[in-house]
Amino acid sequence: MISFIIRRVLVSIPLLFLASIVAFILVVNTGDPIEDLRTKPNVPKATIALREHELGLDKPVVERYVSWLGKAVHGDFGKTIKNQPVWAQVRRSLGVTLRLVLFAEIVSVLIGVMIGVVSAVKQYSWFDYGATTGAFLLYSLPVLAVGSFLKFILAIRLNRWIGRGDDPLIKTIGEGTANFCTASKPYNCGFIPSVTDFLSHAFLPMLTLVLITFAGYARFSRAAMLETLNADYVRTARAKGLSERRVIMKHAFRTALMTVATVISLDFGALIGGAILTETIFEWHGMGRVLVESINKIDPNLLLCWFFVTAVAVIAFNLIADIIYAVLDPRIRLD
Amino acid sequence: MTSLDPILKVSNLSVEFPTDDGIVKAVRGVSFEVRPRDVLGIVGESGCGKSVTAMAVMGLLPRTARVTGSIRFRDDELVGLKPKEMRAYRGQKIAMVFQDPMTALNPVYKVGWQLAEAVRAHEDLTRKQARARSIELLHTVGIPQAESRVDSYPHEFSGGMRQRAMIAMAIANNPDVLIADEPTTALDVTVQAQILEMLINLKDHLNAAIILITHDLGVVAGITDRMQVMYAGKVVETGTADDIFYSPRMPYSIGLLGSLPSHAGSQERLKPISGAPPSLINLPAGCPFSPRCPLADDVCESVEPPQVVVSDGHVSACHHVEALNAMADPLKLFEEVAT
Repeated sequence: MISFIIRRVLVSIPLLFLASIVAFILVVNTGDPIEDLRTKPNVPKATIALREHELGLDKPVVERYVSWLGKAVHGDFGKTIKNQPVWAQVRRSLGVTLRLVLFAEIVSVLIGVMIGVVSAVKQYSWFDYGATTGAFLLYSLPVLAVGSFLKFILAIRLNRWIGRGDDPLIKTIGEGTANFCTASKPYNCGFIPSVTDFLSHAFLPMLTLVLITFAGYARFSRAAMLETLNADYVRTARAKGLSERRVIMKHAFRTALMTVATVISLDFGALIGGAILTETIFEWHGMGRVLVESINKIDPNLLLCWFFVTAVAVIAFNLIADIIYAVLDPRIRLD
Repeated sequence: MTSLDPILKVSNLSVEFPTDDGIVKAVRGVSFEVRPRDVLGIVGESGCGKSVTAMAVMGLLPRTARVTGSIRFRDDELVGLKPKEMRAYRGQKIAMVFQDPMTALNPVYKVGWQLAEAVRAHEDLTRKQARARSIELLHTVGIPQAESRVDSYPHEFSGGMRQRAMIAMAIANNPDVLIADEPTTALDVTVQAQILEMLINLKDHLNAAIILITHDLGVVAGITDRMQVMYAGKVVETGTADDIFYSPRMPYSIGLLGSLPSHAGSQERLKPISGAPPSLINLPAGCPFSPRCPLADDVCESVEPPQVVVSDGHVSACHHVEALNAMADPLKLFEEVAT
C-alpha cells in the first residue's frame, strides 16, 4: 500500500508537468493581457514595450513557460496583472471554496446515499417513486435556475416579508460580512457570531449545491444498492437467519459502498476547481470566481495557478479514490 | 416424537408470482416429507419450480410471492410466519447451500468472519468462541490448515473450497434440514463427487435430513432414498431412486433418463426431449407435458392427470401408467417414436 502510494505520487509529477504544458498553451491563447493598453489612444510605444517586458510578453512562449515553471516549482506563482501575489489570492479563494464545497458535499452525500438506500430497499414503493421523480427533476435543473430561484424568488422576498430587507436573515451576497470582526466591533469576533455569520451567508449557496448534487448520489446509490441487494451473497446472508437490518447494512450496503465512495471522492476532486455558477450567483470569491475573473481580465499567472491547483486536486482525489477502493475491496491489491 | 416422524412436511404447496403478464404459477401443489437422515432428491429442468420450492421452505421468496399450502417443521407451521419469526428457523433449523459458491459468499469479508456471523446469528457466543467454532467447522468440511484459512477472503479459495465453506456455514448451527440447491453444478466433476460424499457424511454426523435439488440425475443416482421429478411446477413422479431409474412410469422421467449419458463407452447419441417446457403463465388445461409427450392423446390434452399409485411409494402423474406397465422397455419410449 505504502509503495503504491509513493509510486502514484511519483507518477503524478510527470502528469502535472504535462498538465502545466497544456494549461500554458491554453492560457497563452486566452488573449492579450495588455490589449487595453494597446487600444487606448495616445499611449507611448515605450510604455507598451515596458509593460510587455514587465509581463515577459516580449520573450518567446517556450522561454516564458520555462521561467514560469522554474518559479512555480518553488511555490512562486508570480503576480497578477494588478501586481498582487497570485498565491495569496488563490489560497484565500481555495479556503472560501472549500468551506462551501466541503459542507455541501457532506450534506449531499448523506442525504443522497440515505435516499438511495431507502429507495432501493423499498423499490417500487411510493417513497421510491417520489424520490426518483424528485431526483430526476432536481438533477435535470440547471444550477443557474435553482440558484436564481432560491435567491431572487425565495430568499429576498422572505427577508422582506419578515421585515429584514435591509439586514437580511438569509444573506444572498458574499461569503461573509465585510469588516465583520474589527477592533471597533469586538463583539463580532467570538466563535458563535462568526459561525452565525458564515451560516447565514452559506445557507443559500449550500442549499443550491446540495439540491443539484444529492439527486445524482441518490440515483447512483439506488442503482448500486439494487445490484447488491439482488446478489447471491445477500441471499446467503438472509439464509443464515440474520436480521434484515444486518443483511442490508453489513452485506448489501457495505459492498455497494465500494462504488459509491469512489464516485464521491472523484467528484470531490473536481469540485475544488470551484462551483463556478453558484459562486457567481451568490458572489462568493472562491475558486470558481478566480477562474471567471482571470479569464475576463486575461490574467495569465492567476489562470495558471488555478489550473495548477485544480490539476493537483484532481490527481490527488483520483489517488484517494483508488486507495478507498482498495481499502473497501479486499480483492484489489495495491502493489 | 420418534426419529421416524417427519421432520419437515410440505403439503400441497403452491407458489404464485403476480407479474405484468399474468400470474406465474411456479409451484403447483407440491407435497413431500423428510425424516432425519433422509436424502430426498428433487429433480427437474430449469424453471420447473424446484428452486422456488426450496426458497419457499426457507421463507426467502420475494414479498410479491403468494404461498399457499402447508410447510410444517416438526409441529410448527411455517407458511404465513412473519419474516421476524421465520428468522429463527432459517439457518438454525433449516439451512441451505446454494448453487454458485463463486457469488454466494460476500467478497468483502473473510471466510471466518462470515462463518462466525452465521454461528452468532443463532447462538450467543463471544467473538473468540465463534472464531474457534469457525475453525472447527472448516475442519469438519475438510479444509486443510483451517486455522490460517479462516482468515482468507473468498477470492483466495478455489471453487470447491468455497462450496465447502458454504456448507460449513449451512451446518454452523446443526440444522435439522439441509437444502442443497444444485450444490455441485458450478464445480469440476472431480470435486462434485467429494462434495456429495461430504454432504452424505454430514447428514449422519448431524442427524439431519437433506433435500438435494438438481437437474442432474447422475448426482442423485447413488445417494438419495427418495426422488421427486418435477415438471412445470408439479411433482410428476415420486419414488425410490430405483423406481425412477429402472421402472419410470412418467414419460418425462423417461425423457430425462434418455438425455443422461449413461452406458459407459457406448457410442449412442443422447436423446433430448424435443420442445420446451410450457409457459407457467398460461398452462395448458391437461397434462403440462402433453405437447412433448409421445403418448399424448385427447385425454392428456384436456384432463390434468391424477397421482396414480404404481406400487407402494411409487406415484406417477400420468394417464398412461397402464400402457407404460405393459411396455417391454418403457425406457425406449422416445426411441420408438423417433424411428
